[in-house]
Amino acid sequence: LELGINFDHIWQKTLTVLHPLKVADGSIMNETDLAGPMVFCLAFGATLLLAGKIQFGYVYGISAIGCLGMFCLLNLMSMTGVSFGCVASVLGYCLLPMILLSSFAVIFSLQGMVGIILTAGIIGWCSFSASKIFISALAMEGQQLLVAYPCALLYGVFALISIF
Amino acid sequence: MHPAGLAAAGTPRQRKWPSKRRIPVSQPGMADPHQLFDDTSSAQSRGYGAQRAPGGLGYPAPSASPQAAFLADPVSNMAMAYGSSLAAQGKELVDKNIDRFIPVTKLKYYFAVDTMYVGKKLGLLFFPYLHQDWEVQYQQDTPVAPRFDINAPDLYIPAMAFITYVLVAGLALGTQDRFSPDLLGLQASSALAWLTLEVLAILLSLYLVTVNTDLTTLDLVAFLGYKYVGMIGGVLMGLLFGKIGYYLVLGWCCVSIFVFMIRTLRLKILAEAAAEGVPVRGARNQLRMYLTMAVAAAQPLLMYWLTFHLVR
Repeated sequence: LELGINFDHIWQKTLTVLHPLKVADGSIMNETDLAGPMVFCLAFGATLLLAGKIQFGYVYGISAIGCLGMFCLLNLMSMTGVSFGCVASVLGYCLLPMILLSSFAVIFSLQGMVGIILTAGIIGWCSFSASKIFISALAMEGQQLLVAYPCALLYGVFALISIF
Repeated sequence: MHPAGLAAAGTPRQRKWPSKRRIPVSQPGMADPHQLFDDTSSAQSRGYGAQRAPGGLGYPAPSASPQAAFLADPVSNMAMAYGSSLAAQGKELVDKNIDRFIPVTKLKYYFAVDTMYVGKKLGLLFFPYLHQDWEVQYQQDTPVAPRFDINAPDLYIPAMAFITYVLVAGLALGTQDRFSPDLLGLQASSALAWLTLEVLAILLSLYLVTVNTDLTTLDLVAFLGYKYVGMIGGVLMGLLFGKIGYYLVLGWCCVSIFVFMIRTLRLKILAEAAAEGVPVRGARNQLRMYLTMAVAAAQPLLMYWLTFHLVR
C-alpha cells in the first residue's frame, strides 16, 4: 500500500463499470486515481497493436481532447465543479468494454452487420456507465442522457479507430 | 587546525563546487579523505559522485540511494516547494482571470438544460409550425433558465451538434475513402471559421441598423448553431439513402430552420408593436424586417454550402 495504489478501490470501480444496470455509489469517485485508467489505456493500445493498427498517437490525442472537452462541459453543466483528474479517471475506467471490442477486432473483422451492432452495443455500454458514475458523483438530475451523449461521441471515435 | 578550518569554511561552498574541491583534496597521499568533508556534504557528494564522473572519490561501492540523498538535500527540497507553490500560484491566477476572458457564469446559464428540454427543442427545430408562443419568460428581469422555458436559447445543443457534425463529416469522408485524421481538423476549423464570420456579420449589421435589442452575442451564437442539427440529419440521410434522401431531408430542415429563425428573431429584433403581429409602417421597421429575413435566409444557404461536398 505504500505505492499509493488501492487495489480494493480499483476493483470496486471496475465492478461498477461492468454492471451497467446497478446503481452507482456517489462517493467512490472521491479519490481520483489514474493507475487503473492507465492500465486500461495501455491494454487498449496493445489490442490495437495486435490488430495491426499502429495509431497510438491518435489514441492519446483524442483521449486528451475528449477529456478536456468533458471536463469543460461537466463544469458548465453541474452545480459543483469537477477536477480534471476525476474526469480522466472515470473516462479511463469506462474504456474497459472498448478493450473487449478491439480484441474482437483482432479475430473477426468488424465491418459487417454483426460488427456494427456489437460496436453500437459496446459504445452504449461504455457511455451508459460513464454517465451513471458522473451523475451519481455530481448529483445532476435529469441529465443522464445529456452526459451520455458526449461520452458516446468520444467512445465512438475510439471505436472508429478500432474498426478502420 | 587547517583541515578543520577547511572543512568548516568549505561546507557552505561545497554545494556549489563540490567537484572542484574534491579532486585536489583526495590525493593518494592522504590517509582518509573523509575527514575533510562534513557528514552532510559527504552524503551529498556521494550523491553527486554517483551522478557525475567519479572524479577522485574512489569509494568502494556507490551509495545505496543517491536519489534519497538528492531529495534529502535542502536545496532540492526548496526547489520542489518553490515549484509546487509556483503551480498553485499559476492555478490561482488562471482562476482569477478566466472570468475576464470567458464569462463562466453567463455560460453556465446556457448549459442549465435537462433531457426534456433537449428533446422538446429538437422537436421544435424539426417541426416549428405548430408552436404558438415564442416569447421567452422572464423572472425579475433575468431570463429563465433553459430548463424551464423551451423558448430560451441554450448552448448545449449547438455545441454537441457542431462536434457531431465534424465527426459525421469524417465518417462520410471515410466511406468515400477520402478520410485522413487531419481532415477532421480541417473540417472543424473551417466550420468554426464560417460560424465566426456569420456572427461577426450579423453583429455588424445589427450595429449599422442601430437596433436596440437584448440579443447578446452568446444568444446569437446559440441561434446560429441550431442549423448544425439539420445539417447532421441531412448528411446522415444522405449516407443511408443517397442523394435523394439527402435532398429531401435537407430541404425539410432548411424550411424548418427558416421558419424557426424568423419566429425567434422577430421577437428579438423587431420593435414591440410589430412583434405582436400588428404591421407597423416606417423605414426602421422595414429595415429590421429585411435584416431578420436576411439572417434567416442565410441559414439554408450555409447548410447546403457546408454539406454538399460530403454526399456523393
